[in-house]
Amino acid sequence: MRDVAVVSFAQSPCQAANRRDDMADILLPVIREAVYAAGIGRDDVDFVVSGSHDFYEGRTFSYIESLDAVGAWPPISESHVESDAAWALAEAWSWLQLGEGDIALVYGIGRGSLPADLDQVVPAQLDPYFLAPLAPHRDAIAGLQAHAAIEAGLTSEQGMAEVVVRCLDAATGNPLAQRSGQVDVARLLDAPYVSSPLREHDVAPIGDAAAVVVLAADDAARRLAERPAWVRGLDHRMDTHYPGVRDLTTSPSTRRAVGRAAELAGFTTSDVDIAELHTEYSHQEAILTNALELNGAVVNPSGGPLAGRPVTATGLIRIGEAARQIRDGNADRALAHATSGQALQQNLVCLLEGDG
Amino acid sequence: MTEPITTMPSPFRMDYTYVAGTGRSVFLRGLAERRLMARCCAGCEQVYLPPPEFCSRCLRELEPPFELDGRGVVSTFCVVSFPFPGQRIDPPYVVAHIQPHGAGTRLMHLVREVEPEDVHIGMAVEPVWVSDDELDTSLLSIRHFRPVHYGGADA
Ligand SMILES: [Zn+2]
Repeated sequence: MRDVAVVSFAQSPCQAANRRDDMADILLPVIREAVYAAGIGRDDVDFVVSGSHDFYEGRTFSYIESLDAVGAWPPISESHVESDAAWALAEAWSWLQLGEGDIALVYGIGRGSLPADLDQVVPAQLDPYFLAPLAPHRDAIAGLQAHAAIEAGLTSEQGMAEVVVRCLDAATGNPLAQRSGQVDVARLLDAPYVSSPLREHDVAPIGDAAAVVVLAADDAARRLAERPAWVRGLDHRMDTHYPGVRDLTTSPSTRRAVGRAAELAGFTTSDVDIAELHTEYSHQEAILTNALELNGAVVNPSGGPLAGRPVTATGLIRIGEAARQIRDGNADRALAHATSGQALQQNLVCLLEGDG
Repeated sequence: MTEPITTMPSPFRMDYTYVAGTGRSVFLRGLAERRLMARCCAGCEQVYLPPPEFCSRCLRELEPPFELDGRGVVSTFCVVSFPFPGQRIDPPYVVAHIQPHGAGTRLMHLVREVEPEDVHIGMAVEPVWVSDDELDTSLLSIRHFRPVHYGGADA
C-alpha cells in the first residue's frame, strides 16, 4: 500500500439556498483555497474526481458545468460519481494506490435547494415497483427508522434532542455551518413532529455548498503538508436496497466497512480521538456509534450534518473535517463516515492518522 | 400460471429552480434588451459569448461586459431535414454555429430568410430580433440569423 494523505481541505459556507452563484461559481473559490493551501498549482494535480447528483440539479450530466472550475482540458484524468463525493475520494484513493499519479483533487458539490419540492425527488431513490409509487415524503423512511431505534432502546426523543443540542453548540465554532447556537432540550421537544418521532431539529438541514479535498501520496504528501492526515484505512459497503428486508436499527454495512478499514489501518475505532459521522438524522448517531463501536471518541466536533447538509458534499466534508483535526494537532487518529441512500443504506468509513 | 406483468405506472414529476449565476445573468438580461453582452479574459484575451463569470482556462474573473452587434459569419451549419416531436419549424431548415465579430466563441442558432442550399460557411449573417412584446431573458429573443444584405442589394 502507498501512504496517501489528506493534505488540504476547503469548503464554502453551507447555505439554505444560494441563488447568486451557478455550480462553477460556487466551486471555483473553494478549489482555489484548497489548491493554494496545499501550495500547488492546478497543473500539479494528476487526477480530478467529483461527486454530485443530477436529481438534485434537475439536469442530465449537470456536473459538467463544474468542470469549468478545475481547468478540464486534455490531457486530463477525470472521473465522477453520482453520489456523495466521499465515494469520489474512495476512487481517488484507489487511483493513487494504483500508482497512476501522486496528487488527486476531490470535490463535492451539492445543491439541495434546487428541487422545488424534495418530496418529488427523494422517492426516486427508491425501487420503482413497490416503494416509489407510494411517494413517501422525504423524511418518511427515516421516521420509520427513528421509531424502530427508540423502540429498540437505542435512543429516545430526549436523547435525540440532546444530540442536536450538542451538535448545534459545537457548530458555534464552525463559521461555515448552516445553523448553530445554544438551544435547550426542553424547547426542542416542544416543537411539532415533521415525521414522528422526528422533529425539524432532528433532520439535518439540506442546502448548498461545495467541498474540496486534496489527496497526495508518499513524498508528495510529506512535501505538501506539515502534518498530513494519512488515510490508513478506507472501505465502503451497502445494505440491500429495499428497506423492508433490513433491520433498520442496525447498520451491517457500516460494521463491515469499519472492520475492513480497521484491518487496513492496523488500529481500531477504540483508538480514535474524534469521529465525524454523516448523520442525516439525529437518531442515526446511536445506530452508527453502535455499528462503529465508538468508545470515547468526540463525535462531530464540527457540528456535523445536523448543522448543515449540502447534499453530495456532506460526506466529503466529514473526511475533510476529520483530517483537519489531525492536521491541526487536535487528534492523532480520527474516523470519518459517509452515507448515501435511504436510512443509512450505503456507508463509507475512513480511518485517518497523524504522524506520531 | 398468471402472465407476468410487463408494464406498470410509476409517474414522476419534479420541479426545479434554475440558478443562472451572475455571469450568465448578464447575458440573459442583455437579450431581453436586444443586446449581446460579451466579456473578455484579461489573462488569455478570449472573448466569451455567452460569458460565464470566469475564464475556464485561466480561472480568473472576466472583465466587465461589453456589447457586440451580433453580426458575424457562419462557421459551420447543417440542414435539418427530418421531423421530430416538439419541432418548432417545418424541415428542412438550417442550424448553424455563428461566429459573431469580436467573439472568440460561437453561438448556435437558426439561419433563415435564405434557401438552405444557398447557406455556406463564411456567409455573413445578422440577428433578427423578436418584437418588443416577445423579448425575454432567452436566446429566443433572437428569432433567427439571416444573411446580411450589404448596400441594400440582395446577397
Ligand atoms: Zn483566460
